[in-house]
Amino acid sequence: MHQTSPFSLTGKTILITGASSGIGRACAVACAKQGARVLALGRDRERLQETLDLCGSDQVHGALSLDLGDGEAIGEVLIFLKEHAPIHGFVHAAGVSPTIPFKVMKPKQWEEAFQLNVFSAVQIMQLLTKVGIKSADGMSMVLISSVMSEVGEKGKSLYAMTKSALIGLVKSLALEYADKQIRFNAISPSVVNSPLSEKSLYRNNEAALQQVLDQHPLGLGEGSDVAHAAVYLLSNASRWVTGTNMVVDGGYLAR
Amino acid sequence: MDQKFLDLIKEALEIEDREPQMEDAFKEYNEWDSLSQLTLIAELDDQFGVTVTSDELKGIITLQELLDQVKKAQG
Ligand SMILES: NC(=O)c1ccc[n+]([C@@H]2O[C@H](COP(=O)([O-])OP(=O)(O)OC[C@H]3O[C@@H](n4cnc5c(N)ncnc54)[C@H](OP(=O)(O)O)[C@@H]3O)[C@@H](O)[C@H]2O)c1
Repeated sequence: MHQTSPFSLTGKTILITGASSGIGRACAVACAKQGARVLALGRDRERLQETLDLCGSDQVHGALSLDLGDGEAIGEVLIFLKEHAPIHGFVHAAGVSPTIPFKVMKPKQWEEAFQLNVFSAVQIMQLLTKVGIKSADGMSMVLISSVMSEVGEKGKSLYAMTKSALIGLVKSLALEYADKQIRFNAISPSVVNSPLSEKSLYRNNEAALQQVLDQHPLGLGEGSDVAHAAVYLLSNASRWVTGTNMVVDGGYLAR
Repeated sequence: MDQKFLDLIKEALEIEDREPQMEDAFKEYNEWDSLSQLTLIAELDDQFGVTVTSDELKGIITLQELLDQVKKAQG
């Protein structure tokens, strides 16, 4: 008899934010490779379609273009989810990484960063946990945090606040939803090659870039390195794992 | 305006032990780094309502040149 691997995502439908770029796109492709149907969310329609093309045609994948910075618009996700329910997994990879000196940080900037990095995930998970949307077999939610939830960096106080918030969030939700078989975990990557990390300040300064490289014993990461961790957390192989922060960082935090 | 500008420089770059002079090549200050550059850009926007980009800053050496750029941007 053919036995399905516990790491397989066959038969699962996974919603992924930030699927039009970088880590989110890599998650979409990796999930599709493991047999999942992917629901890709982002703003840029063209790049979302490119992601679906990369996911292949074994499944009928779906895409929704939406600005998650607009909390009021997120209700639209419910209509989309109803069309595709039941949903088995969620990856929140949409995010921004502002570098702002503390003394000039403005309420508008922290409202924007928190809305996208944290509250949009909160809003979407409230929809996903609704009866009729969530799979009766349970669900797995994966929030992309950052090593900056554990260590600091100059100019990154706002970013670190948003990423630490995700770590706190998964722990309490893991307990609140354990009896409903809904698992919540975070992944904390360090520097991964993507359009986001290309914009980092150190990219303009050779010495600073070398320092960042030296901090990664295994070199900088690729989106797929994070995506493979997400596949594990979404799959039944991790059925006994909830409320954790999985560090995927090329050894950055080892020292 | 000159004094307001110099006060802004002191605040943005957190200079505590001396008075910045208009002819100073401010990027040679010990306090100058990528983060103080972001602070300076944000403070110029806040207090003078002008956007000086990091590219524009590259071509500016002295505080006088920076002030001239601010005045030019104000129109
Ligand atoms: N790259 C790294 O080194 C690194 C390290 C640690 C953690 N992370 C985290 O990993 C996540 C993904 O990063 P990445 O490197 O893949 O970044 P990226 O390539 O810049 O992708 C960001 C994604 O977020 C989406 N997004 C941004 N603003 C949005 C909005 N208002 N509404 C809806 N979607 C929006 C983008 O969609 P559109 O392009 O369609 O607008 C894009 O798909 C982020 O949370 C980041 O903090 C990244």
